[in-house]
Amino acid sequence: MTVHISTLNDRTTVPENSKSSLNTQEFFINMGPQHPSTHGVLRLVLKMDGETIREVIPVLGYIHRSIEKICEHNTYRQIVHLTDRMDYLSAVMNNWAVSMAVEKAAQIELTDRIEYIRTILAEMQRLQSHQLWWGVTGMDLGAFTPFLYGFRDREMLTDIFEETMGARLTLNYIQPAGLMFDIHPDFVKKTKDYLKYFKPKLEEYEALLSANPIFQQRLRDVGILDREKAVSLGATGPVLRACGIPYDLRRVEPYGVYEKVSFKIAVGSVGDCWDRYSVRMEEMRQSIQIIEQLIDNIPEGKFITKKPAAKITIPEGRYYSQMETARGVLGVLIVSTGKEKPYRFHLRSPNFNNLWTITQMAPGSRLGDLVAMVSTLDLVIPDMDR
Amino acid sequence: MGLVAQMDQISGGSFILTRMDEVINWARANSLWPLVFGTSCCAIEMMMATGAARHDLARFGAEVVRPSPRQADLLILAGTIVKRMAPRLRTLYEQMAEPRYVIATGACTISGGPFVYNSYTTIRGADQIIPVDIYVPGCPPRPESLLYGILALQKMIKSGESLREPGIRKKPVVSELPPGVKLEDITLELRQILGDEGITNIPEEIARREWSTGL
Ligand code: SF4
Repeated sequence: MTVHISTLNDRTTVPENSKSSLNTQEFFINMGPQHPSTHGVLRLVLKMDGETIREVIPVLGYIHRSIEKICEHNTYRQIVHLTDRMDYLSAVMNNWAVSMAVEKAAQIELTDRIEYIRTILAEMQRLQSHQLWWGVTGMDLGAFTPFLYGFRDREMLTDIFEETMGARLTLNYIQPAGLMFDIHPDFVKKTKDYLKYFKPKLEEYEALLSANPIFQQRLRDVGILDREKAVSLGATGPVLRACGIPYDLRRVEPYGVYEKVSFKIAVGSVGDCWDRYSVRMEEMRQSIQIIEQLIDNIPEGKFITKKPAAKITIPEGRYYSQMETARGVLGVLIVSTGKEKPYRFHLRSPNFNNLWTITQMAPGSRLGDLVAMVSTLDLVIPDMDR
Repeated sequence: MGLVAQMDQISGGSFILTRMDEVINWARANSLWPLVFGTSCCAIEMMMATGAARHDLARFGAEVVRPSPRQADLLILAGTIVKRMAPRLRTLYEQMAEPRYVIATGACTISGGPFVYNSYTTIRGADQIIPVDIYVPGCPPRPESLLYGILALQKMIKSGESLREPGIRKKPVVSELPPGVKLEDITLELRQILGDEGITNIPEEIARREWSTGL
């Protein structure tokens, strides 16, 4: 059997008899890798027929930092710090995903306090991530004010994080067997104050951007993603839920204390950009609800159950665990040979799979709409390339 | 250069030259047009510093952020540079108009940062590809650090190039050391400290040390 591997060169050579109406010719343009609206260093090679997109070829690797390889040289505690740098907008959740995998494999017991704090912080981070996404989406589609508003509110959350964790972006807070430090004494009060402040702001967000007819027209019925296509491409997170599939690991395979809280899973119906937008807006509300249910009931207890100096070894075998970050399912596969360091460490990043949905939705639409599609996918490029 | 030779012949010419230098450098320092090159995590903090709600780069005359290299004279690097990106970065730098300045923010652009060991793709420091004027440390640096870096760059430009000696840049970081202390002294002292502790086996050291965690 012969396998034909098509290179970028093959695919970007225009055939002589390219089929298009009138006397036009298909051509290729590059979007990226240094482009303001691809949110990083994503490169999209676009096959165009005039203003209409015929094909999108994503080209990756411009920020491949070989994190998986570095992980093979590090102990399980050290690995956690690298995960902050992948999807830096869900740093806490990435930390948690790896810690959870290690804890499950090494059978480390946790206290209730740890689980509560982790869940609260994960939801706060989801809120923060969606705020940033909201601002940037507004900016991509031509409205600069949302960017300022989103960042203003995000910055207040960052201050709360900084007090407890000592960092603003790369938080490094959750480690296998617990947390780095206990929460700051003011944490509970400040978080409650913040939620009180932010709830009316969320309505303001809706009034400012969602209610804008121009903004709606740029999103509605643009970039429709088919349900089956979404599933077969492995899309997860808000992208999948916007197609009407209520798949959320927080409900399907609850971890942390998600079992004890009540929240709704936001789903869309059509699967267009507008649905993805609304799903994220609704998720912000749900995150606020989850935090409100938990913040007053953080139990007393230890914040770490194993000495940080103690070695963590995982018995021989393969271990997989997954969790729902702000962008979808982050899977962690550890292949252990019983040593302190993993033999192979693999990460299934949500952004990588979400990216490929663009090859399904973009063909046939206009170039300007591609910006809307990329923004509502909410991609973080270093997470794809790792 | 023709201008310098001509000015030297007339009386008071060198005085005018010096004044011109001052005016040109003042103008350059206060109207920096940055091209932001954000590849990863540092880019978020850089966005915070350059365009977002809390900090205002416009106060320092550098708010006209351009996505095109041809209209920019300051390249702000934020994020890891990997081998595949390196040629593109070099191209961007070459496309910028002279005189051009580069600020490297974050551990990654300074030395490779967290990816310095065992990584087969990361470039260990942006100064392997392009000349860097100001280094802003941190992982990621706070927005305030970047603003401080821009202030330092302005100081450098103001005391820097002249019509007589184009291309000469005086780094303020070095020129601001206390009198009597040289950069080599600091390097020597740091080596001494590292050597005295003699730490080679880090895992062993971790196991040996007492950690205060409240257990
Ligand atoms: S220095 Fe740190 S925060 Fe900045 S790009 Fe590198 S890893 Fe990310």
